[in-house]
Amino acid sequence: MKSFLFLFIALKAIDFDLYAAEAGMPQLDPTYWASQAFWLILVFTILYISISKFYLPKIKNNLDNRESKIKEDLENANKFKEQTEEKIKEYEAILKNAKKEVTKIHFESKKILDKNIQSKKNSMEKEIEKEIAKAQKEILEIKKNSILSIQKISESISSTLIESISGDKLNESSIRATVEEVSKKNIGKYL
Amino acid sequence: MQQFTVHKIGPEIKIAGIDLSFTNASMFMVISASIIILFLYLGSKNKSIIPSKLQLIAEMFYAFVAKMISDTAGSKAKPYFPFIFSLFMFVLFCNMVGMLPYSFTVTSHIIVTLIMALFIFVAVTVIGFIKHGFKYLSIFVPSGVPVVLLPLITIIEIISYLSRPVSLSVRLFANMMAGHTMLKVFGGFVVSLGVLGGWLPLSFSVALTGLEILVAFLQAYVFAILTCIYLNDALNLHH
Repeated sequence: MKSFLFLFIALKAIDFDLYAAEAGMPQLDPTYWASQAFWLILVFTILYISISKFYLPKIKNNLDNRESKIKEDLENANKFKEQTEEKIKEYEAILKNAKKEVTKIHFESKKILDKNIQSKKNSMEKEIEKEIAKAQKEILEIKKNSILSIQKISESISSTLIESISGDKLNESSIRATVEEVSKKNIGKYL
Repeated sequence: MQQFTVHKIGPEIKIAGIDLSFTNASMFMVISASIIILFLYLGSKNKSIIPSKLQLIAEMFYAFVAKMISDTAGSKAKPYFPFIFSLFMFVLFCNMVGMLPYSFTVTSHIIVTLIMALFIFVAVTVIGFIKHGFKYLSIFVPSGVPVVLLPLITIIEIISYLSRPVSLSVRLFANMMAGHTMLKVFGGFVVSLGVLGGWLPLSFSVALTGLEILVAFLQAYVFAILTCIYLNDALNLHH
């Protein structure tokens, strides 16, 4: 089937004189060789001159401009980047200093505060001690006084008791001596 | 082969008995050159930092050719950059314009490619002799070759050097002609087979058109890069 198709194509081709459209190649006919050479040289010379004098310098100029612009932009970008980094460094240094100062201030104020608190505390304690001492003294006095009054009371009670029990009036001085003796013996218990 | 015939347009111009009439070949040379100039004009008109589409393409061509030259011929070839750029653009646009239906392919004519190749050959040889004097002849004597083989190698080198213009021109011409002939043959099949069987050669035609556009670019590139390589031989005498 395939070979039939090709045979058919070949026969048809021969029929239509495709292979023998014209005798020989027109390229080898020298009639217009001189004309073609002449026009080729003319056209190509004009093309070469216009390209080399006008268009290539223009394109080159455009390309160079673009390249230099890109280079410039990149340089600028780098410069700005450096500047930014510098600024960031500066900022960090400032921040560090500030932190240092803050801790210093914090520390100092704490120290002052501590000192103040300590001194206040000390003075307070002193005052309190003073007060306590005063109070103890007073208490001691009151105790002594009360012992004296207790002695007097006990003297009078004893004399009254003895008088009412025995009916005799005992010598007051002997009673006093006895009470004093007893109270001296027991004074450690009360003080 | 009708697409390759050259015919006169306008009056006959004869200078000193030589026929220099304006032909369809001349017309398509002018068209290609005009397209290049228009394209480069639009591509270099604006000086914007962010390029427009055409500007981007023009700059891409510039960078492409510049890279090609610096890769193959080094920095010494910089003065020849405009020539190689023009050559590349001219061959490329002639090839591409030739891909349009009903147009004429300038580069499918051996005389056109041969003149370009001969000019390159002569120019490279002259540059070589100017830069290196008679030492340029050492290009035919490669170093590190056994003495016994030296005469043979030298002859081979001379032949290969002299065949440069032929290989350069025939490569471009044959590629362009073969591609267009093939397209024509398949196009003919489509017509002769009609609606019944025409779809097969038609799909071939479509594929071949894509291939031919690739070839059109590739041959322009090859033409330019070989010029760079020849220039490199002349500028940097390696042997």
